[in-house]
Order: sequence, then C-alpha cells, then structure tokens
Amino acid sequence: MKLDTITKIPKVLGAGIASTDGFVIESQFTVGYNAEKSAAMAAQVVNRIKQSLNIEKVSVIFYTQNSVFFIKETEVGIFFVTCHKDANIGLVKIKINKIT
Amino acid sequence: MPDELTIDSGALIFATLADVYLSSGMIDEAISILEDGLSRNPQYTLAKVILGRAYYSKNEIDKAIEVLEDAYKTAKNSENANFYLGQCYKKLGEDDKAIEFYEATLKINPNNEDARKELETLKPTPVQVEQPELEPGAEVAAPEEAEIEPAAPIVEEQEKTEIQPEPVIEAEEERVEAIALPSEQIEDKVEEISEPIGAAEKRPPEPEELAQPEVPFVPLEALNASMKRLLSIAAIKGAFISSKDGLLIQSYYKEEVDLEEMCAMIAAIHNEAEQSFKFLREGDVEKFLIEKENETICVMAVGESLLTIVTEPEAKPGLLYVYARSIINEIKEILG
Repeated sequence: MKLDTITKIPKVLGAGIASTDGFVIESQFTVGYNAEKSAAMAAQVVNRIKQSLNIEKVSVIFYTQNSVFFIKETEVGIFFVTCHKDANIGLVKIKINKIT
Repeated sequence: MPDELTIDSGALIFATLADVYLSSGMIDEAISILEDGLSRNPQYTLAKVILGRAYYSKNEIDKAIEVLEDAYKTAKNSENANFYLGQCYKKLGEDDKAIEFYEATLKINPNNEDARKELETLKPTPVQVEQPELEPGAEVAAPEEAEIEPAAPIVEEQEKTEIQPEPVIEAEEERVEAIALPSEQIEDKVEEISEPIGAAEKRPPEPEELAQPEVPFVPLEALNASMKRLLSIAAIKGAFISSKDGLLIQSYYKEEVDLEEMCAMIAAIHNEAEQSFKFLREGDVEKFLIEKENETICVMAVGESLLTIVTEPEAKPGLLYVYARSIINEIKEILG
C-alpha cells in the first residue's frame, strides 16, 4: 500500500497499517509521532465500534482538539491516518478511499 | 452528569439534571438532588424554583409555597416562580392570591398561555394585563351573554370589575418595581430550562380546552426550530441528544425508534475514544463520524452531552456540520 500518497498531503502527520491486535504492520510518520501508540489506539477503537454497532468494516473519523484521525478497516489490516486539524480533510478522505 | 456532581461538589449543574429528572417524571430523584445541591448553594434561586415545581408536582403544596416564596424574595420577576405560586395558591383555594401571581406572570411574559388560561378560569372577564390603565369602575361589556340573559350576567360582571381591578393594578405596580431588580440572569436560565406544567392541574374540562389539548412538556423545546431545520434535510434520518453516560435526553427521530441501546453504544464508543486520545495527548474528542453501509452516524460532544445525527450514506458532512454548529451552541446554553 502506497502510504506516501497520503503522507505527502500537507499537514498529514503520518499514516500506517495495524493488525487487529494493535501491532504496526507498516507506517510512515513525521518525527515526534509515535506510530505504535496510534496503531494500538486505532485497533482498540475499531474493536469497540465493531462490538457496539456490529459493523463488518469500520470506517471512522475522529476530530480531537488538536488533530483529526482517520481509521478504516481494510482486507490488509486497520488503516490509520493522523493529520493536523487544519489539513484538507476531504482530500485525505478521497486519497484514503482510493488506496484502500 | 452524576459523575460531574461528585467531582465538583459546588457545581450548579444539579439544577439542570434535576430539571431533566423532573421532566421525566422522576420527582423524588429531582427533589433529592435539589435538596442536596441547595444545601451547598443555598442562594441558588433557579434551583429553588425547580424544587418548588417538584413539590407542586408531588402535591406537597405547603412545601412548594415555602420554597417558591423564598425564591420569590430574590427573583420577583421570575416568570416560573410567579406562575407556580399562582398554581399553589389556586390549589389551596386562595384565588385572590393566585390571580395576583398569574397577573404578575403575564406581566413578565404576556405570551404565557398557561397563566392566561388559569386566569381566565378564575376571572371570567377577558385577561387584559397589557392595559393596566383600565379604570377600576369601568364597565366590562359582555355582549354575547347580555343577549341571552340581559340582567344577571351583567350584574355579576359589574360586581367583579368593581371589586377586582383595584388590587390587581396595585399588584401589577409592585411587579413593575420588582422587575427592575437585578436578577435577570437567573430568570433567563429559569425560562430556558423550565416550562410550566399547568397540564397536570386537574379541573373540570372546558370546551376551549377540549378543542385545544395541552401540548406535553418538552425539556429542550427551545431547540425544536433548529432541529426542524436540520431534519428537513432529506438525507437526515434523525437525531438525538444523550448524556455521556449513555442516557437519552431528547430524541428528534422522524419515526418511532428505540434509542436506548444506541445511546449506550455511542457513549461507550465516545468514552473509549476519549481515553485513547488522552493517552495520545491529543485532547478531548470533539466529534466523530462512523460510516456504516446503510447509514452514517455523526456524534458531537456538547459539554456533558452528545448530539448524534444519523444520516443516509450520501449525506453531505460539511452541510451537516454547518447546521449542527448552531444547534450545539443552543444545547450548550440550555444544558451547559
């Protein structure tokens, strides 16, 4: 999976793929951002949503005070992207849909 | 919300929580919270008014009067304090006092239909609170009744107009002075979250009431207009407001849907995500968007509540956020 098509978008801080148990399969993150923590968080949230809403393939966007997180379950694993709040969220979403 | 109460024992949010309980018919819980909260914040007038309302709903009229009179001392221009004092005195059969308080209520808010109706049941003459310059001796015309029974009703009307206008006008003058007192902020809050429950009052049905059944109390009535606008968007299936602990506060679904489970699930996801993002030091979760095959669930955190909007998959999230922003501000004003 070409993660650089996502990470080259301005204000995207990193992207990666995690296994369902939260281990990093592949990642490309800006220095200072911890891919392992993000992967663990992505897996935890996906499991909770699957459990609660009984969804087959979870796709969710979280907006926090500082950042925006995209989490999407794919065949390969859990795809996650972290970007700054001011990033072009629409563009990131399109790119994610293209590569997953 | 109960968690917040334990974290900050001085929090004034207990009044809002009690109001929601009261609106849901949980009168004892509301009274318990209010008594506890007032023991810490004895000067909180809004809570006293809600407690008075709770006692009134529980038919403990003496207690209700005691609390409401206490609130009335500091918030004479409180629409709800006046209205419920009127209700209490009416229940005790002290009609003169009740009329006085209903008049005061209408002076504060001429659009208070409940007070107007109560006044009309106690005073057969049309309610004219907006014209205090009416001369005490002035005759009140009753043309329709006069045509049927020319003598008796007119005498009755005259007797009433001779007896009643003077004290009413005096009472209204007192209220005008009282309105100038600085308790506007308290009154604003009272108006926002409290609504008269005159519908609970039992009295012989009148033709007018039968024709226009009273609308049940809606806690977040102020949001109705904004929600109606939001729900008018074709792709939106419905919306609801729940607390962060998973309890439904208000539903705006177009059709009947069992939302209890949904509220609990949304709260669980939100709490899990919030814990995870705190671990990542990314701050609180403001909103999240879950895309399902057949629908999209958009959840927005508003203080201690969650606004959830469920849409068709093709709904435009940008448009949704624009509408939601104004609703969020209104919810913040009401629920804090």
